[in-house]
Parts: sequence; C-alpha cells; structure tokens
Amino acid sequence: MAKKPVGPQMILANCLREGRALFFGRDGAWHAEPALADVAEGDGLDALMAKARAFADANNVIDPVFIPAEQKDDHYYPAHIKHVMQAKGPSVRPDLGYQVSPDWERR
Amino acid sequence: MYAYDPYDKEIVNTRVEEFRDQVNRRLSGELTEEEFRPLRLMNGLYLQLHAYMLRVAIPYGTLSSVQMRRLALIARKYDKGYGHFTTRQNIQYNWPKLVDTPDILLDLADVEMHAIQTSGNCIRNVTTDQFSGATADEIADPRPYAELIRQWSTFHPEFSFLPRKFKIAITGAPSDRAAVKWHDIGLVVRKNDAGDIGFEVLVGGGMGRTPVIAKTIRDFIPEADLLGYLEAILRVYNEQGRRDNKYKARIKILVEALGSDTFADLVEKEWQTTRHHPIDVPEAEIKRIEAFFAPPPLEVLPEQDPAVDELAANNFLFHAFLKNNVRPHKVPGHVNVTISLKPHGGIPGDATDAQMDLVADLADTYSLGEIRVSHEQNLILPHVARRDLPELYEALSRSGLGTANVGLISDIIACPGLDYCALANARSIPIAQNLAKRFDDITRLQDIGELKVKISGCINSCGHHHAGHIGILGVDRKGEEVYQLLLGGSGAEDASKAQILGPGFDENGIVDAVETVVAVYLGERQDGEKFLETYRRIGADPFKEAVYEAH
Amino acid sequence: MKRINLTGRALSDVALTVFDQSPEAAQELAGKNAPYGLILTTETAYSDLDPELIEKADLIAIDFPAFGDGRGFSLAVRLRKDFNFTGELRATGPVIPDQAQFLLRAGFDSVDTDDARAAAFQKAAGRFTAFYQTDYTGNTSVAHTRHGPSQRERKAS
Repeated sequence: MAKKPVGPQMILANCLREGRALFFGRDGAWHAEPALADVAEGDGLDALMAKARAFADANNVIDPVFIPAEQKDDHYYPAHIKHVMQAKGPSVRPDLGYQVSPDWERR
Repeated sequence: MYAYDPYDKEIVNTRVEEFRDQVNRRLSGELTEEEFRPLRLMNGLYLQLHAYMLRVAIPYGTLSSVQMRRLALIARKYDKGYGHFTTRQNIQYNWPKLVDTPDILLDLADVEMHAIQTSGNCIRNVTTDQFSGATADEIADPRPYAELIRQWSTFHPEFSFLPRKFKIAITGAPSDRAAVKWHDIGLVVRKNDAGDIGFEVLVGGGMGRTPVIAKTIRDFIPEADLLGYLEAILRVYNEQGRRDNKYKARIKILVEALGSDTFADLVEKEWQTTRHHPIDVPEAEIKRIEAFFAPPPLEVLPEQDPAVDELAANNFLFHAFLKNNVRPHKVPGHVNVTISLKPHGGIPGDATDAQMDLVADLADTYSLGEIRVSHEQNLILPHVARRDLPELYEALSRSGLGTANVGLISDIIACPGLDYCALANARSIPIAQNLAKRFDDITRLQDIGELKVKISGCINSCGHHHAGHIGILGVDRKGEEVYQLLLGGSGAEDASKAQILGPGFDENGIVDAVETVVAVYLGERQDGEKFLETYRRIGADPFKEAVYEAH
Repeated sequence: MKRINLTGRALSDVALTVFDQSPEAAQELAGKNAPYGLILTTETAYSDLDPELIEKADLIAIDFPAFGDGRGFSLAVRLRKDFNFTGELRATGPVIPDQAQFLLRAGFDSVDTDDARAAAFQKAAGRFTAFYQTDYTGNTSVAHTRHGPSQRERKAS
C-alpha cells in the first residue's frame, strides 16, 4: 500500500479523449479550474478517490491522483509548481493556457 | 529524397488502420489505459502535463516542401498553430486530441510520413548530419544508409520490445554534426584502402543520469554487411541488457559491465553465425535507395556575388547572417542556409504554421524543395545559390526567421521542460529566453563566438546538457526549480562530458552565472581560441572561483 | 483461456516440463523415447540449453512474465535458427493481441490467451502483409522482393 498523502489533497486526472488536465470538483464533475476542486484530508481521502475513480472506471478520465493543495484566500490551489503548471498551461505561452479561472489572476 | 513505393505505402497505411483500431478499442473500454499506453507510445503519442503530445518522425531530418506544408496544416487543423522541432530531428505537437490522432496519421501517410517508433522501447528515428549530401567534407551521403536502417528497424519482429529505447545516429563526414558518440549506436562512414564504403561502429553512448561516450567496437564494417552486424548488436543487447531497473537498461550499461572488447566479441560471434541469412539487402536495393539521394543538379556558379557583398557591406545584420547562418555547399556558388528557430525571446525549436508554410515556399524557390531539421533545433535550406541570399534573407527577416545567431550563445538547445513535459522537474524554456535576453547584442554574441548552450529540465537529458560547452540541468529541490551549471561538454567528434561546476542556482542566478563564465573566458582566451578550447586549456577552477566568489 | 493457432499446424498436447526448475530432470527427457514438451522463461539463457534436448522436443512454451519482456522474441529466434527446433513454439503469459504478428514472425505457432482476446489475436495475426525484414519463418523482406526471387536465392545460398 502506498502511504497516505499528508495534508489537504485534491484530485487531478487527464481527460481520456482530449488529454487536458482536470480537477475533481465539489459538484462531482471535472473542471479545469482548481478553485472548483473538492479537497479532502486524512480519513476523507478514500471517499473522495472512490467518487473520482468511478469516472476512470467509466472510461472518461485517466489516472486520477491526489495532489497536495494549499489554501489561499477562500480557495484551495495546487501546491506544487508542476500542478500549478497543469492548471494554468505553459508559462511561456500565456496566450494558450487554461487560465480560465479569474481566481488565478488574483492569486 | 526517398519516395515510397507500393510496399512502403502499404506498410504505413496498414499502420494507420492498426492505430485507429487501437484508439477505438481504448475509447470503447476494450483496452485499459495500462494496456493502451505502450501501444500509443510506440506511435509517439504521449500524455503530457496539459494534453497528449504527438511526436512525428522526420527520418534523418530530411523534409520536402510538400511534407513541411503538411506539418503546417496539421498544426493548424489539429493543434494550436505551432509545432516544436526536437533534438532528434522530429516534430512534436503539443495539443492533439486522442480522437484526432488516427486522422493526423492519415494526413501524414498521405505525404509519406508517420509517427512509427518515435517512442517506446524500440529502435527510434535514425538521425544524421543536417548538411548530408550538401557538404564538401563528407565521404558519402549517409542518408541512403539511414533509410536502409529505417526500413530494417520498422516493426522488427524481434526488437520491438527492447530493454529500453534505442537510438542510432550516422555521419558521413569526419566533422561530427550528428553527435554519434552520444548514441546507443554511432556510425561513421569510412572508406577503406580499396576505396570501398563501410562504417566505423561505436556502441554504448548515451546521456541520461549516466552519461557515457560511445566506444568503437569495429573499425570497418562493409556497406553490404551493415544490417546483419546491427542485427547482431541488437540481439546481444535484447538478450543481455538489464530489465530489472529502467535506469540501467540502456545498452551503455551493458557495454560498461561487459567491457567493450567482450561486447564486441559477442557481437562478432553472433554476426558470423548469421551471415548466411539474408538480413542484408541485395546490392540492387542499396543502389535503388542511393538513386533517391543522387546529388542535386546544381549549376556551378561564381563563388562571389557583387549584390551579396554590397548588402553585407551596408547591412550589419545581413553580414552577421552571412557569417553565422551560411556555410559553403559542395557545389561552388551554392550554400547551406540555417534558419534559426532561436529568435531572442522565442521558444527554441518552435515554429508557427505560417513559418512552416513560408519555409516550404522558400525551399521551393531557392532550395530545390528540400528542407532539413538539425538536432540543434534549427531548419536548413541545403541547396541555395549564393546570389539568392539577399532575397532569401529579406523574406526570412520579415517573418521573424532571420536571427543571425547560429552556433552562438543564444542558439540554445532546450527541451520543453516543465512548461509541457510530464517528466520534467524544472522549466527549460524561460532559462533559454532569459539567456538570450542577457546576450541580446549581436556584436557581443559574435565576439564571444562559438558557444553551445544546452538546457535540460530533468536528468533524462533531452536538452543534451551533458554535451553542452555550457550545460544547464534543471532539478527540483523541495518544490523549487534549481539549475546546475556544467562546463566543457561536446557533442562533436571531440565528444566530452560536461562537468558540474558546483552548487546550483535559482532562475536568475543561473543567468548571472553563465555571464560570469563568459566573462572569465573572454579574459582568459588566447588569440582566436573558442570557449571550449580555453576551458580545456585552463580547466574548471578559474570559472569556479569567479562564479562562486560572488555568492 | 483459449489457445490461438497462429500458423495452422497441428497443435501438440504433450505434457510440459519446466526447464529452469530442474535442467537435469529435463535433460533426461531427451534420452527417453516418449514425446515431451518444455517450458522456458524469458530468463532462460540459450547458452544453457542442450541442442539435442531442444531439437527432439515436440513443443516448447516460452512464458512471458510481462508482454514488454522482449527476450522471449530473441529466444524464439534462437530456437529456430541456432537449435533447428521445428516443433511447436507456444507463447504463454500476458502477451497482447497487438504482438500477434511479432510472435508469429519470431517463430511462434500458438498463443495461450484470455477468451476475450482471442478474436483480437486472430485479427492482428494477419494485419500486415509486407515486411521490412527477412525473418526465420519464411517471410521475405520487401528489400528482396523488390528485386525478384533470383536475388534472394543468390543471397541466401
């Protein structure tokens, strides 16, 4: 068994058909905006992953994984630069990324 | 250029159908992701940070204008209007959808292109000198042999599940522009005393976390025996290469473990037992392939052209272009023109669909419709009449393709890094951009002279940092991007491994450190010495002192 | 589990002995006058194999621990080219339908696979009809067929 991740986590996966990175949302759907992501910790992790995994089992997303989240203002965001990059798009092409969430700009 | 016959067409078209079937089975759920992953990888389809990435093979870096236009079309139709030319002379698309990839492959097959074996643990696209067939210093054009190897290695029934990926490079010239000593197999075209063509065979080169320079295991293998000998190498590797640890699975580890002499003996023994078997092709087949690469019908022209000289005298940037981006062709009065894909502030190796279309048009007008891709991530028009240079330069400059920095410090190799790549630990492209900004003056660039900077965003070394005169390696230190500085590498015939200078730097610090290194070189260099020569003469210490003294 | 016949030969149902577990016991089979089969793994080194033991076997199964373990392909080629093995060669383990033609061309006659994959195996086994390599199972590379049969005979003689 892999060690349980420590601290608040959100779930990131890729869309099967298009490949883009998506966060598992509080509304039970997948979103490009990390601000909409559901966050769990400790004992709540298994239940969250079970919900997300159902989508992978239904062949809609690939490889849902926990990623560390950190709180800023009212929302959680990915903590690691790699996941920040996945949420925003390439830093060298700001014209092409997913910078869809206005919350990103306020950060 | 090579043109497909009905057999080649059938094989590539069958592959498109096969891949469409695999994608459909994945979408229907018949294949799990675990099962599909190796299948899509064998077709160059990765899943990266933001999207799928499709790597399209450009065999030995040679493209026709028709093919280049098709690459532009694919960028427009299925992607976001650009592509990335790689250090393996291929092109990568960063945003294709899985559901579109079979159609992309069909569009490619239509112009005799494919994505076969651009990833996976198999024999990858064979790379070579970007000036092949157009340079005076070569013994023979290596591309017919690269094509022979391409065919032999395509869907090889025995070698499609090797311990690890396998890269072969070949050069026809003693000046090595294909970094053959950094490949799993390096081939150097030789001529023996009888005047016959053959190859020096080197094995076990490679970068990654264990950089190794390839060792010669045979001084001369005759042309007629090349494939049989390669097959013997691959069989020994497939049987004995390590499979328990992917970081020790490349052939370099096997060759180091056995010793290159023992490895050579094993290969020789296996080769002798299979010589009766028709692995090698009939002589007529070599001749057939060679005919596609016959020297182009270029008229001998005067070496000097008054219009060129006049523009060079009046236009400083054209003068620099002439000096840095233009080199002589083997036919007098003609030149090879390198189109820099390293505009200052741009992304190394990226080209937009409009730029690809323009290069295709310019190739038709000025270069017999032929284009090359270099492992240094630039494009080349190989057959240009010198007298056409003013017009060509004007057209390139108008479209942001006239940067006169080839071989200079801002002509940087950079992998996609953490901006795109799922394996990366740090970004590479912004470092290249900041360096180009710091060295933005063409006079200063030319004064510094030849200096090859190579940046990788992780230890896998796609940015060739081990072979950089100045190498930069991005690492992840507790979530922060940290950059290590390496000096003294070379990817040329005098191949050497760059050595880490000391502790790493942050994003800004690395640019300062490179500037300090350059200042030490300028202070120490003796008449006409290039950076690498000075470094080899004085060693790392003066650089180390200067770089770390300030910190 | 379903047994796929790739080459159309009559398949053997002889009992199999695992060579790697006891090479000595396996070796005794060669001396008896009864048909026998062997299980080799991708760990089996061809240099440990006795030519007589291999040549007299009715059936050899090569067990793949993972479909990406390509040693099984080279071992199959060795059995055909270096040991003159003409019996049935069978692939077992998690090989996938997309490898059917590689298996066939490396010398395998049959594959054991899940029932669900049987149809895909059959379909994949006949997908390509032109090949860039002359293999050890009688397929001629297009490089030779391009220049006619006489060329091939000359080269092979």
